[in-house]
Amino acid sequence: MDWNLRPARDLGLPPAERLRSLGREPGLVGLAVNAAWRRAVRGYLRAAHGFRVEGAENLPREGPFVMVANHASHLDALALLAALRGPAARRAHALAAGELFFGNTARAALSAYAINALPVWRGRSRRGELDTMRARLAEDALAYILFPEGTRSRSGAMAPFQPGLGMLVAGTGIPVVPCWLEGARDAWPAEARLPRPGRPLALSIGPPLRFPEARNDRAGWQSVSAAAEAAVRGLAPQPAPPDQP
Amino acid sequence: MIPHPEGGAFAHPVTTGIILATLAVLAVSGLAILWLSRSGRAKPEFRRELWLRWASWCVLLPLMLGPVLIGRAATIAAVTILSLACYREYARATGLFRERLLSAVVVLGILAVNFAALDHWYGFFVALWPLTACLLGVCTIPLDRPAGYIQRTALAILAFMLFGAGLAHLGYMANDPGYRPLVLLLLTAVALNDVAAFTCGKLIGGPKLLPATSPNKTISGSLGAVLVTTTLVALVGAAIFRGTPLANPVWLVAMGALVSVAGQAGDLLLSSIKRDLGIKDMGTVLPGHGGVLDRFNSLLLVAPAVFHLVQYFVGFGTTAPIRTITG
Repeated sequence: MDWNLRPARDLGLPPAERLRSLGREPGLVGLAVNAAWRRAVRGYLRAAHGFRVEGAENLPREGPFVMVANHASHLDALALLAALRGPAARRAHALAAGELFFGNTARAALSAYAINALPVWRGRSRRGELDTMRARLAEDALAYILFPEGTRSRSGAMAPFQPGLGMLVAGTGIPVVPCWLEGARDAWPAEARLPRPGRPLALSIGPPLRFPEARNDRAGWQSVSAAAEAAVRGLAPQPAPPDQP
Repeated sequence: MIPHPEGGAFAHPVTTGIILATLAVLAVSGLAILWLSRSGRAKPEFRRELWLRWASWCVLLPLMLGPVLIGRAATIAAVTILSLACYREYARATGLFRERLLSAVVVLGILAVNFAALDHWYGFFVALWPLTACLLGVCTIPLDRPAGYIQRTALAILAFMLFGAGLAHLGYMANDPGYRPLVLLLLTAVALNDVAAFTCGKLIGGPKLLPATSPNKTISGSLGAVLVTTTLVALVGAAIFRGTPLANPVWLVAMGALVSVAGQAGDLLLSSIKRDLGIKDMGTVLPGHGGVLDRFNSLLLVAPAVFHLVQYFVGFGTTAPIRTITG
């Protein structure tokens, strides 16, 4: 018999702090808002951008796992979230820039309730916070959506991956699922206020990577990030070969 | 049926009396805190705490008493919101919120039992307690996840009993045209009960009541609260139930004691839950009080206990139209 009372991780936090807490756990209302948002986004992406997913069979059905992808647009996290189904979708958290997505309370409420985002603060995310994220990933069987470049690419070229991904999974059997999003930069460029309907969007999902042997130190994190980066690059569409004469 | 004079919300002198007394207590306590602040006797931290509590009461009291004055539907709606707020805190504190199927069934049960009260359908109202308990017992079986079955089912059934079936009795009372003085009396008497226990405990002191459960409660405070609350409820009850079989000193005193004992039992029940979980407050919604449950714990058991005492002697809404929605 298993008696184990576990209060919510964010119990006792004032509402505004709860929105920004890494321990935030959604209840019935949060789940319902998030599910409605996910369906609306999926419908929009399909209708306005002809959103296609290739390799969906590579996604684990349940957490824990981490989805990593190239980052060029605000559509990226929405598209990755829309590709998830079932228990994984309910426990999916996009790791989002705190300054941008949690700057004020209204924006934090939207990020927390709709996108189910967790804030990562540029330059001031402490080791303890990363440890919390690493622990929650395994204990709560979460699915993290992470863009290891650290910021949206303005040129469309993918930047090198930061070692933060490695801090989450090095030395564990937690799968890292490489993804490539094609067309997001055209569909919603970093400089535009709103997305541009009509531009196609496609997601390729590669087979998961695991890093049980990687050491949980800087060298280990970097090896994880490098391997994930190579896997994501491998999914990018190859430029068409020049026509043979 | 509870005797009631014809007229609007303030037709019954007890209604007017309770509202005026509440406003007076609020004004006097505000002046007392002001005097304490000016005289510099209290530490700034304690003063802040007092003001916070007082301000919370100023927001809370209109939200509690207002719907009762407005009418039947408003009272039942307010009880529904209170039930859902209490359940939310309980679910987050116990971890039951992670069981979304059970949580959804508890919420549906809360909505259904309050709908039965709004419909004035007593048969459905009482049937929902066993029916919801059965549904909670079986609904997670198809998940094929027996690990933790007893814990999650027990937590959900306790939740529905306390916040659904139990609290809904308070709303059901509004089906009687003469509900206002009784509901207002219960709302204010449980608050007075807490204050009396605190004050008597501080003034008299002495041995602790249940130190492991609630370290600040004393036996003298508990008995003092029984004395004060019983006296007040019996006296006001005599004015409310004049001319009914309940207007007998023995039963009026029994009703008063029931309010006090059930109120304190509800308080201790919540203390036990909090101690078991190792938390201090159930929430942060009410500054100076904690969560909604920390404020309304005393009402949880008083509502069904007093309901059935009055139902036995007098009956609720015996001449009011029944099944007003479902026909």
